Amino acid sequence: MLSDIRVSCAPHISQRLSTRVVMIDVIIGLVPAMAAAGYYFRFYALILISACVISAVATEWLCNLIRKQPNSLSDFSAVVTGIILALSLPPALPFWAAVIGSCFAVAIGKMVFGGLGANIFNPAMVGRAFLTASFGMLMTTWTVPATVDVTMPKISPENKVDARTQATPLAWSKMALKDKNGAKLYNEQQFRATFTGAVGGCLGETSVIALLIGALYLFIRRTITFHIPLAVILSAFVFAAIAYLINSNAYVQPIFHLTSGGMLLGAFFIATDPVTAPLTRRGMWLFGIGVGTITMLIRIVGEYPEGMMFSVLLMNGMTPLIDRLCRRIPAGGKPGV
Amino acid sequence: MKVNTRGRFSFTGGVHPPEEKDLTSNSEIQPGPEVKEVAVMLSQHIGAVCRPLVRKGYMVLAGQKIGGSDAYVSAPVHSPIHGKVKEIELRSHPVLGRSPAIVIEAYRYHPTKYQGFELMEDFDEGKYSPEQICDAVRKAGIVGMGGAGFPTRVKIEPDPRMPKEIMIINGCECEPYITCDYRIMLERTSQIIAGIKLARKASGCSKVLIGIEDNKPEAIKAMNEALAAHAKDSSIKVVPVKTKYPQGGERQLIKAILKRNVPTGGIPPAIGVVVLNVASVAAIADAVINGTPLTHRVVTVTGEAIANPGNFDVAIGTSVRELIEFCGGVTRKSAKVVVGGPMMGIAIADLDTPVTKTTNAVTILTGEEIGKAKFARRQTPCIHCGRCLRVCPENLNPTKIAHAVKNNLLDVAESYYISACIECGCCSFVCPANIEVTGYIKTGKNLLARQKKKIPS
Repeated sequence: MLSDIRVSCAPHISQRLSTRVVMIDVIIGLVPAMAAAGYYFRFYALILISACVISAVATEWLCNLIRKQPNSLSDFSAVVTGIILALSLPPALPFWAAVIGSCFAVAIGKMVFGGLGANIFNPAMVGRAFLTASFGMLMTTWTVPATVDVTMPKISPENKVDARTQATPLAWSKMALKDKNGAKLYNEQQFRATFTGAVGGCLGETSVIALLIGALYLFIRRTITFHIPLAVILSAFVFAAIAYLINSNAYVQPIFHLTSGGMLLGAFFIATDPVTAPLTRRGMWLFGIGVGTITMLIRIVGEYPEGMMFSVLLMNGMTPLIDRLCRRIPAGGKPGV
Repeated sequence: MKVNTRGRFSFTGGVHPPEEKDLTSNSEIQPGPEVKEVAVMLSQHIGAVCRPLVRKGYMVLAGQKIGGSDAYVSAPVHSPIHGKVKEIELRSHPVLGRSPAIVIEAYRYHPTKYQGFELMEDFDEGKYSPEQICDAVRKAGIVGMGGAGFPTRVKIEPDPRMPKEIMIINGCECEPYITCDYRIMLERTSQIIAGIKLARKASGCSKVLIGIEDNKPEAIKAMNEALAAHAKDSSIKVVPVKTKYPQGGERQLIKAILKRNVPTGGIPPAIGVVVLNVASVAAIADAVINGTPLTHRVVTVTGEAIANPGNFDVAIGTSVRELIEFCGGVTRKSAKVVVGGPMMGIAIADLDTPVTKTTNAVTILTGEEIGKAKFARRQTPCIHCGRCLRVCPENLNPTKIAHAVKNNLLDVAESYYISACIECGCCSFVCPANIEVTGYIKTGKNLLARQKKKIPS
């Protein structure tokens, strides 16, 4: 009975928690957003999500084969990457483009660095950036949700009223900036639309309610801490509020920036990716403020209507620096001081 | 008497491992096995290793000093039994590896069993001068019995450079499974009170706070009742603290009770505090009043696999094998034999490892108990989730230190304050990637210590 005892360093017991559980929690947290996407965009959602997930998993499997590494599919991180990428794509994107983006995300965004935990940039955002650079037109064509309200402003590529495509709320605000009529644009009906998700936009970003429910789950499971989302949202709100106060004709109300576009999807699910975010609390604040501010810079000052992707990627690059800058001081103070 | 047993105080960080104390918490302290042979390690404490004072073939008496050192930071060792020195040879030490021990063959089993300890109403620590107390503690070879084994005399002796004001008695026992301190608090309460009075007298502290985790309401009540009966002054107080691992770490206990941090790399006296374990305090009373050296200690033998788990008054030097047999052996396939508790204890390979002054428990863990854990699972890459940072009671960055050590970057590990780690194991406990974070940090500390030895500064 005592013949096969083993030795190892303490502790000899541990919490029943694994990377897989963490990843499955993130997937569960994304379920409401996926459900909302399915509700508003029907088959587009099904096709994009399954194309992204399947190709992400296949790419990871292939990369492991090539790298002669043990199979790492069981940690479910490829599934998470696939889902997040799919949710950040325009619904009408052809599935082959999604497959390309997903393969790129996993192969170049993650596996070339050495797999999970070693990547510098958020793989899903790498894939999306690649798609934006390669298929600019496809990436900015927004389908009207199946349940759309007819009073929403619509544009087609030819800039005339069209039933198939529609401007995103952020595109409205960009137009408002040009026409200096931001205040008029923003009405309660549209605000409610951004809240429920019945507006144009990427698959998973339109429904604020779904994202908040998912985020609540992640908070309860302690998969993410509040620091990064709060820092992102607060800094974006402050930035937008300043712009609004300076010129309330040209700029939309700050709350509008929070409920539209990828702000909440990014704040709760993308910027909080532990691998590419800082470790310390102060670092998380800095990171979140950076993400929020850069997003708003792009949205308000820059050319693009949306800036979440670039700001997350930029701050991902800063993460090692932030981690070095924001070191924790031991509870007893620095030694020898 | 109505006593508040809810703890309000704690430190930041920490974890809540399953307590598993029910196995032995109701088992009274019983006499340990009648040993045929003991192996008394010459180093059972922090400080200089003892020189053997006997040779092979010598007859020794129970309580006779058989090893000592002239160094200030050291503690002598005594024979727990009458017997004959069989050999002075290397034995497995849970921490130090193979190290010298005096092996004594029992001549006729004559244990200095615990005879009970009655604190008289008229007990007066005023009879003893501080010097007398310190001297008795030194001669008895008392060390910190909570785990570290720092010589108690060095702790309590007044030091003009670091005057001590507050004495904290550590009755937390935050480590899962272990119940020896709990039983001592219940059964030897008056002895602890006497020890506290003596230690306070010796150290010159004005205030005594007894920290007990609030998962031991019985102990909190017992201590309060004993205080009411034997110590009329209000300078000794029981402070219930929150149940959280590692609440019993002295730095964490000071933080919880006094809201003060011990400086990194410093010791509690630097802020005027001295922390003593309840078992050590009980030993002080025995040593000063009865002149009994520290030759026996209470050990919890526990684990799901043990046939009859319990708390035993064991002769120091008894082998782990003998203890396990004494408890009816193991009934199930076991995976690990741990000296100490599952969080900080040391898994041993050699069952002939003897009990030392700091052995508070022998825990046999089955695969099932560990299976709640890593063991069978594969280590996966760190995903920087930050859980280890959140639970670190010393506010360190465990994953950075561990990965620095893994990549042999000891200077980086130092820049993340590797030396401030108390090796509590919380980071490994929570790690979802199954990384032995604490293990890497311990390795790094060892490597650094070796480096420093080779290159004298």
